[in-house]
Amino acid sequence: MNTASDTAIQAAAAIVEDYFSAPVRTLLDWVEPFAAQVAEARTSGPLTRSKVDALVEPHALRTLDLRGVPVYGAGFIAAIDLLSDAHSHLAWWQGEDRRQLVLASQSVNKENIDYSALEWYRVPMATGEPHVAGPYVDYLCSDEYTITIAVPAEVDGTRIGVAGLDLLVSAVEQDLTRRFASLGCEVTLTNGVGRVVVSTDPRWATGDSVRGSGLAELPRAACRGVALDVIVDPA
Amino acid sequence: MGSSSTTHATHPSAEPSPDPEHEQPHRLQGALFQPIGDEGRAELVERRLVDAITRGHLRAGERLPSEADLSKSLGVAPVTVREALLALRGRGLVVTRRGRNGGSFVAAHADPLTFAREAVRRTSRLALRDLGAHYAAITGACVRLAARRADPSETQRVRRRMERIDELDVEQQRRLLDDVQIEIVALSQSARLTREQMKLQAELSPLLRLVAHETENLRRQAEHLAAVIDAVEAGDPDAAGARTELMAAETIDALIRLQATTG
Repeated sequence: MNTASDTAIQAAAAIVEDYFSAPVRTLLDWVEPFAAQVAEARTSGPLTRSKVDALVEPHALRTLDLRGVPVYGAGFIAAIDLLSDAHSHLAWWQGEDRRQLVLASQSVNKENIDYSALEWYRVPMATGEPHVAGPYVDYLCSDEYTITIAVPAEVDGTRIGVAGLDLLVSAVEQDLTRRFASLGCEVTLTNGVGRVVVSTDPRWATGDSVRGSGLAELPRAACRGVALDVIVDPA
Repeated sequence: MGSSSTTHATHPSAEPSPDPEHEQPHRLQGALFQPIGDEGRAELVERRLVDAITRGHLRAGERLPSEADLSKSLGVAPVTVREALLALRGRGLVVTRRGRNGGSFVAAHADPLTFAREAVRRTSRLALRDLGAHYAAITGACVRLAARRADPSETQRVRRRMERIDELDVEQQRRLLDDVQIEIVALSQSARLTREQMKLQAELSPLLRLVAHETENLRRQAEHLAAVIDAVEAGDPDAAGARTELMAAETIDALIRLQATTG
């Protein structure tokens, strides 16, 4: 790797780390006090959906106000069987009108969809670490191509669910390609399974897999704090 | 806005806007810009709920979301929801119970199979075949794209969900197959196609359930889906698409045979 592309790749990784660090920090900032509120609420009776919704709402709405990243949705997803009146529950606010998501009233009854195996729930619940999931088609909440950042919530060492936020990939693309443009080479951001998140290179489409392609041979660097790689094409 | 299914209900009603150049708007235009009002909206809410019940997305005995939740998610006034629920009660699809565990519930006799049978009886063969063509086109395109873009770790996770199928009853099996179908389609990485699939799945799902109940071809549907997962994992778009088209064709054929025998 020559020095120029080495500099570019470090700069690209720094752009990505910087971009995602603020939303992760925002979630980490509220997840602990929120978990304490849940623990407190549990001492005074069964934990219901409406109790959790009331606790989540102010945190979710503040997360939607976050500057610098285009937050589309935010909230808390309860661990399976955490609540007394529902097997599973999403306390989630999204969209321009910041409306609470109600799954049961939609055309396909999404309430029955099992989220325990989905990446944004499964990974932080298993590792106890913040996770940037996707991009993926989010047919549960945003109905868009989405990146979900999620951090686990814990009470006395037990994980009670994840606090999360959604970013729409089309908005992330506009933010990141603008920042990458100054580096003077083509930059492609890929996720843990080698899928293109965004690329300045018009030949690479978001959603494509780089496995087995020429892109897989180019210099790459892992971003710290998020499971994403940047690939730089000096050509 | 979040779900495509709620988008339509969220538009604020149009206010007549004064136009300095045309003090007297054309009569048709005047009618166009009348406030939509909650009268039409109650009917829209009613239709949405009727669909959910007759298609089995809300099952007999199941509790409906509260009036407040429905009003919040559909973007209409609580009084509009109340009006729609009143109409559903009048049609016998919903019952209301008072008290601590009260609320609105889907009526016990609201059997989606009966509704599906009735829907098939009323639908022309042409319309059934056209539904099959639409489904094959959309779902076929989705699985082809998925075969080019999915990671094996993702297809393996979808396959693992299918492994528990034998522990479930027929109804739960159909729901699982619906979920699995949507998960495969989402691997296409296309939000537009996935939304289209959700709409189609909502339409076809009650008919798939009817076929599963009345012709015992549930196992066949599961085999088709398993084969599609294999093809997507193998990165074979043609095999994934062909198998999906076969599944759609078989389903429509079975519905037409059902229609002919129960006519």
